[in-house]
Amino acid sequence: MDSLFVYSRLVGAQIRGQMQYRVSFLLQLVGSFSLVFSELLAVLILFRTFGEMAGWDVGEVALLYSLVAIGFGISELVSEGFDDVSVLIRLGDFDRVLTRPVPPFLQVMSSRFALRRIGRIAHGVVALGIAQWWLRLPWSGVDILLFVAAIAATAIVFFSVVLIGAAICFWTTERTEVQNVFTYGGTELVSYPMHIYNRWLRSAFLWLVPLGLTTYYPVLRILDKGDPLGLPNWLSYVGPLVAPLFFGVALLIWRTGMNHYQSTGS
Amino acid sequence: MIRYLEIARVSYRRHRAYRAANVAGLATNAFFGVVRSFVFVALYRARPEAEGYDLLDALTYVWVTQALIMPVMHWGWLEIAQSIRDGDVISDLSKPVSYLGYWLSRDLGRSGYYVLYRFVPTLLLGWLLFPLRQPEQLATWIFFALSVLMAAILGFCVLFLINITGFWTTDVRGINGLAVTAVNFLTGFIVPLEFFPPTARAIAEFLPFAGMISIPMNIFLERSTGLAMLGLLAQQALWVSVLVVACHMMLAAATRKLVVQGG
Repeated sequence: MDSLFVYSRLVGAQIRGQMQYRVSFLLQLVGSFSLVFSELLAVLILFRTFGEMAGWDVGEVALLYSLVAIGFGISELVSEGFDDVSVLIRLGDFDRVLTRPVPPFLQVMSSRFALRRIGRIAHGVVALGIAQWWLRLPWSGVDILLFVAAIAATAIVFFSVVLIGAAICFWTTERTEVQNVFTYGGTELVSYPMHIYNRWLRSAFLWLVPLGLTTYYPVLRILDKGDPLGLPNWLSYVGPLVAPLFFGVALLIWRTGMNHYQSTGS
Repeated sequence: MIRYLEIARVSYRRHRAYRAANVAGLATNAFFGVVRSFVFVALYRARPEAEGYDLLDALTYVWVTQALIMPVMHWGWLEIAQSIRDGDVISDLSKPVSYLGYWLSRDLGRSGYYVLYRFVPTLLLGWLLFPLRQPEQLATWIFFALSVLMAAILGFCVLFLINITGFWTTDVRGINGLAVTAVNFLTGFIVPLEFFPPTARAIAEFLPFAGMISIPMNIFLERSTGLAMLGLLAQQALWVSVLVVACHMMLAAATRKLVVQGG
């Protein structure tokens, strides 16, 4: 509870700080929104030409797309501080982090709160609206619960990927750009139904980084579609549950990395 | 002229120092290439042809555009804006070369590096992984190279214009976000312009952004040949001159009001 209080105070200060430059902030928000919105527009244009994609129509893909965008947006909101870890290590500033009476994880996370990323979340909500307008889904209570759980799970998986990427810096010092393949590349990949990919890609994004389990399978259930990959039905409900597990692994890697940390000594 | 060549050469060599970063970027470009390829494979199951593109054309489009990202577009390059923010701009302005020429040479050196170390390997990877179309005429490669050179200059001009808005605003990130959107979309990078609704397509094909991706791709896929293709090259050349003049005028206006902060 204590750390939650510290986090909220630090983030509050960040938000106030970012709001000082109102025009700059608004422009960034618009910029962030428009950037991702162009991706959605591209999907719509492709469907205008082709009509359907491997048995999915535009509304169905838009639903999947919105889930991914909102989940990724939430993770970006809170994970940006971890992008700085390589700099902290290189300059020796991580020493200072270790001496403060607040858990390092919390310090790094609260060091940057990327409010402008609300642009991506807003864009996901727009996509959700478009999907609903096309599909007129009935949304039972279970569906809503599953969708919200899937968003949370997706955010957790993306966050964990960034955390692992940051933890790797304890060994490499340099930020490994490979992380981008799983974050930005991952959003692109899971925005389309998993069954369009070959076995390698599918396996990587189901069992290595379980993004497919937190996006594709819950959406299959909500759309009441069968799984062309032939995996059991209950996977749709179990999928979101792997996110905390994956986060646990990420946290373990982060802890191990921190124990491995040797100051630059400068 | 020698000086500018030297600037370009140094810039080329500087980029060669970051080998690991280039490999990581290559992996990212190729990964997106794979994902976008599967998307088109799935879409083309519904119909064999769209707006004159068959699956082979679409896959080629994906991989050549992925390969062109770094030589032509490099999103989020805000080096000049940064130098305006911290005042370093003054030392660049006092160099005995034209400021615009200095940055253009640097950028072309960078593009040259990325043609060799990013464009070529990305395209080779694409060729290994997916069936791609190769230009039938040998001359097509030459016209394509010319077109890519102009595309790189256009890409530089767009980024230069964004960067020097920093003289007025000091925080260009917002404008940059909007501009990157426009570039991604209006160049035909995300979706070929031919797939746009008719009015949007006509506008996009007229604008300078088309010269960054759409026109080089048009030439590579040999969709336009002969006079039509020369017309496209002329359009590109026209926009290059317009944008270079625009850069000059913006720069002149900016330096007139420049106040350097700090000591």
